[in-house]
Amino acid sequence: MSELPKTPLLDELEKGPWPSFVTEIKKAAKKNLMAKDELAQLEKSYTDKRGYWKHGGIVGVRGYGAGVIGRYSSLPDQFPNVANFHTVRINSIAGFFYTSDAIKMMCDIWDKYGSGLTNFHGSTGDIILLGTNTENLEPLFAEFSSRGWDLGGSGSAMRTPSCCVGPARCEWSNIDTLDITYSITQEFQDELHRPAFPYKFKFKTAGCAVDCIASIARADCSIIGTWKGNIAIDQDAVKWYEKNGMNIQEEIVNRCPTKCMSYDGKTLKINDEDCSRCMHCIAKMTKALKPTGERGATILIGSKAPFVIGATLSWVIIPFMKMEPPYTELKEFTRKVWEYWDEYGKNRERIGELIIRRGMRDFLEYVGIQPDPRMVKEPRRDPFYFWKEEELVPNSKL
Amino acid sequence: MDKEELKQKIYSLVEQSMGKKKLKQSDIEKKISEEAGVTRQDVKAALKELIDEGKLIYTYFGGSFVEIPPKQ
Amino acid sequence: MAAPQRRTDIGPPHYKDFLPPVIQKNYGNWKYHEILEPGVMVHVANSGDKIWSVRVASPRLLSTDTLRDIADIAAKYCGGYLRFTTRNNIEFLVSDEKNLNPLKEELKKKGYMMGGIGPRVSNIVHTQGWIHCHSAASDASGLVKVLMDEFAEYFTKKELPNRVRLAVACCTNMCGAVHCSDIAIVAVHRKIPQIDHEKVPNMCEIPSTIAACPTGAISPDPAKKSVKIKEDKCMYCGNCFTVCPPMEIHDPEYDGVAIVAGGKVGNLRTPPKFSKLVVPFIKNNPPRWPEVVDAVKKILNAYEKGAMKHERVGEWIERIGWEKFFKVTGLPFTHQHIDDFLIARETFRTSAAFKW
Repeated sequence: MSELPKTPLLDELEKGPWPSFVTEIKKAAKKNLMAKDELAQLEKSYTDKRGYWKHGGIVGVRGYGAGVIGRYSSLPDQFPNVANFHTVRINSIAGFFYTSDAIKMMCDIWDKYGSGLTNFHGSTGDIILLGTNTENLEPLFAEFSSRGWDLGGSGSAMRTPSCCVGPARCEWSNIDTLDITYSITQEFQDELHRPAFPYKFKFKTAGCAVDCIASIARADCSIIGTWKGNIAIDQDAVKWYEKNGMNIQEEIVNRCPTKCMSYDGKTLKINDEDCSRCMHCIAKMTKALKPTGERGATILIGSKAPFVIGATLSWVIIPFMKMEPPYTELKEFTRKVWEYWDEYGKNRERIGELIIRRGMRDFLEYVGIQPDPRMVKEPRRDPFYFWKEEELVPNSKL
Repeated sequence: MDKEELKQKIYSLVEQSMGKKKLKQSDIEKKISEEAGVTRQDVKAALKELIDEGKLIYTYFGGSFVEIPPKQ
Repeated sequence: MAAPQRRTDIGPPHYKDFLPPVIQKNYGNWKYHEILEPGVMVHVANSGDKIWSVRVASPRLLSTDTLRDIADIAAKYCGGYLRFTTRNNIEFLVSDEKNLNPLKEELKKKGYMMGGIGPRVSNIVHTQGWIHCHSAASDASGLVKVLMDEFAEYFTKKELPNRVRLAVACCTNMCGAVHCSDIAIVAVHRKIPQIDHEKVPNMCEIPSTIAACPTGAISPDPAKKSVKIKEDKCMYCGNCFTVCPPMEIHDPEYDGVAIVAGGKVGNLRTPPKFSKLVVPFIKNNPPRWPEVVDAVKKILNAYEKGAMKHERVGEWIERIGWEKFFKVTGLPFTHQHIDDFLIARETFRTSAAFKW
């Protein structure tokens, strides 16, 4: 293989302690022409302060409309090896667990059919194979799928669901985030691979309200584990934390948002009635405090980045849903939500935007859910609201 | 309506809207199921065959659509 | 050799096949965990079993060479088991305590950077940037690299009042949780799109292009079979460009980044919050964006100095007030900080109580 292109600007990004993406691209570029042109084009971007990629189009693997994102250099004459340089998304493992063998298997295929550059992982949680030519797509897909790996979502489809580490390695998880993720991924394979929605639809599942997967900020359907019982207290463990330097009054009791805790220097007390399950005390004293009783999830809908109406956080639709395999209630609810979206959604309108446009009442009645004060921060402030004909009863005392 | 006939109807619809309006899968399902008096599931199954055969493809232009593949 | 047989709609492999035996045995039965070092924690099961996780920094963009090296290390010390965190760090999963120190030694020797656990700066969640994205107004990986070079010590050792989550998005499409991060960079445009009227009729659908505009700045231009933009309504979001590529919004001279702060996703103590604008614009200055690093440093330093234990950046700012935030960081407050997008009035101060 010929020498690497001169990259004086990018070389500056190989300095400093943090691991360098430039070094990674150079490693690949030493043995791969696509990676070499990627490196050269990136240097040009750094020189000109602009990107040189075009997107969209018609590439994919036969039968699917998702999993491959068309990407083309806008300078194909200068960088012919990345003239077409498409992203391939591979559906990741729930909880992002891998084995050395699986990683090496992927490397072998990707060195043969692609640039040798990857992301572990992309923002949505797919394994990103960063760039290959159109003619490599089918053989690449055959290599992966014959070994039991499939493509992830893209376009107006269900996107690859992802989750926090959950019960695999966390004591706080109220639900089996990995199993829920795997189960909905398998259930909705058609929706994942054949983009039939008005726009994208993301699921993210977090085991508790700490929300390590940022579910509430970036999923159309946020599934967040919670519980209904009391918090069990191990008073000896509370003492252990105190002995190890924790100021229980200051760091735990005073930080409780609902003021439901007290500590007299001997016994920590919680008025469970008033607890809102924010997770602060449990996260700080994980040895001492444990949720008890019924477990389940809060289902929230609607978060997304700013386009078009400004960023939104997901809001509560179902305050508590039991979460046991095969998750029939969740799946039925999801189908109902998609049906509503299919009926009324415009092209590129996310589910949250649709609900805001048509109103919560319209949505709740369609999916058959009763209003609940947990759905709002506070009731409306304005005196303008709808009544339906059937709610106006003549000669009624109300 | 038999499946081949349904497939032909879907293909014609996509062909006719080429250059006028890009169709989403749901546009096709809604329109054809109404016109042909079949279920959306039937239309979906026929469309899937057309796509598996490569006669129609999914495209992406700021959203996903169903179109006729360009001539090579 | 015959080509392998392709299969469709099989979904990903089952996660159980990738869990270390100690996790399979204690799945859902963990009792507590302890942070032993900035890059090492141990989880203890109700059964008494333990698993050690050693976290190392990753640039997210990994070559197959590096992936193979990571796989080899995991094979040597972890029975071949490893995972990635939601913030793109690598975690080596050690089931046998006697492998812990040799693993750490080898990681150190090979130059991997351990850390990121606990009240520190973890890896930066980011987007594709100039490396592979059509709509990037800045480069995400470069910004991440220069920021983490600067804050490396907050990853490997130094503690902060609470964890600080950083994010970088290379355009306002924000593929990442920029809008709910402690401190985040988002690349922005400042000039209206340049319309190529020759290409619009062929490449774009006029109604969806008009609908893509949040401020109603786009209207049809029937004579040209194209669209026109009302200049004083356009806020340069670039959504029209994604729907209609001939509406070129990139302008290297005027593109750059904004800094937002005070967001969070967890519910601990206070509800999840959006990030708010703190620096409206800094010009792109690759390869190392010194002005951006400097501004983020000002915010982080002020937070480190002023926040109480367990307070996130947003909680600290809420307690001291935004007027105090701009005072202690020395960042200027400008017209751009006052909202005039769709539901602006929500952020206006409707109280006569504030600080000087």
